[in-house]
Amino acid sequence: MKKLLILLIALGFLSSCAVVKEYEKVNINDPDMALGDKSIKRFETSAQAYREAASGANGGKTGGGCGCN
Amino acid sequence: MAYSQDTIISYKKRVLESVEVDLLASYYSQDGDNAAVTGGIGTEELTDLASSIVVSIPLNDDAILKIDANVSAYTSASSSNVDAFDTEGQAADPFVASSGASGSDQWVNGVIAYSHSSDDRNNIWGANVSVSKEYDYFSIGFGGNYTHLFNQKNTEVSISGNVYFDQWKLIYPEEIRESFSEDLASNVIIDENGNILARKGLPTDKRNSYALGFGFSQILSKRAQGSLSLDLVQQEGLLSTPFQRVYLADPDLPDRIYGNGFQFADDIERLPSSRFKVAIGGRLNYYLNEVFVLRSYLRYYQDNWGITSYTASLEVPIKLGDFFTLYPSYRYYTQTKADYFYKANDALSTDAFYTSDYDLSSFNAGEFGFGVSYTDIFTKVKLLGYGLKSINAKASYYNRSSSLSYFMVSGGLKFVQD
Repeated sequence: MKKLLILLIALGFLSSCAVVKEYEKVNINDPDMALGDKSIKRFETSAQAYREAASGANGGKTGGGCGCN
Repeated sequence: MAYSQDTIISYKKRVLESVEVDLLASYYSQDGDNAAVTGGIGTEELTDLASSIVVSIPLNDDAILKIDANVSAYTSASSSNVDAFDTEGQAADPFVASSGASGSDQWVNGVIAYSHSSDDRNNIWGANVSVSKEYDYFSIGFGGNYTHLFNQKNTEVSISGNVYFDQWKLIYPEEIRESFSEDLASNVIIDENGNILARKGLPTDKRNSYALGFGFSQILSKRAQGSLSLDLVQQEGLLSTPFQRVYLADPDLPDRIYGNGFQFADDIERLPSSRFKVAIGGRLNYYLNEVFVLRSYLRYYQDNWGITSYTASLEVPIKLGDFFTLYPSYRYYTQTKADYFYKANDALSTDAFYTSDYDLSSFNAGEFGFGVSYTDIFTKVKLLGYGLKSINAKASYYNRSSSLSYFMVSGGLKFVQD
């Protein structure tokens, strides 16, 4: 748990990195670099929400509206 | 045409150039030996066919309307055993499906979402409404979200809120359906001979869910970006499933077994009427080179039912030329059990809450996935005025330490209007 928190906080501090200009975002704009999931992942995320107690923080359901946990 | 020197002409790029249509479908098959409907003992065999159509329509330069329609049809051996006695000529058996009408159902869902971007594209707000329906369940939901980009669009913060109002039809296990009373001091009333005289009815058939989400994403370098998200969820009302059986361990309560090992319910699952969940997730994506990208994800989850869980996943897209990409992935998940989880014949009638739903037990799970995508940015293949932009397919296998496993294949086609 501590390691996870340290990692997440460190990621937050990295916002002070040098700004990447629009013309330098060729790699960042690659579709596979998107921070969201591909559209077909919705089925997998839904199955996990039914079969596991945890949900949320992944773009999927957090409870309610799905008949799941 | 001449312009004075101080005239500035700027053009806005449309947030969405043309109508996009996603056609998606999946097939899901699971099995296991711990069905919650039969008190943690019985087949969990279930198949599900799901399909979705998502249409994104640019209303003008700044706004998008998204219509997301979903249908899912399933057959479930364990759900069929809500009434295990209705198959002619076949003895009740927790490991065999009955012919009960509850063995299949359809989930229908629709979401309409609107989003609007500011002229500089640094502020985006949106709203959505959703409706879901199953035989024993109806839900309506509303939501809103706001996103702000700054730091030359290197940094993004967002906030979202959603509420869902669910209405359930209370369906109890067939063999005890007539035994529920409204006003009982305890969950079950047992006489001196071990007979259950009455069971306490569930106090509500409504469930309200309130979700608040915060997001932060940051471009870290020319090759790396990451995000953090925090979801807070409060649920109130009916949080148990009325037709999930529980077998109690009270010494004066005999096991009443019929047919091929089918045990009559002592009671139904009882869970608190309130639950608070916190989920913190982090993503880190790294563009290794023109062939490989690393996509990682971590999540920590905790709720006030005693469940703590960790999730970690890694996907490595492998580009094979301009058109094809492979997507091998692995996901690991672990959770502790809910305070109210008991194996069959472990809980006591004096416990306020109990469940034998193994989704709330302690377990680890691993999931292997492999996907492939074809992308044609020039959309050469045409169909009814739309060009095919991409084809995606994925297969995954999930294995849980509590005996459950599932296999899933999903696919999608993306079209854009010419």
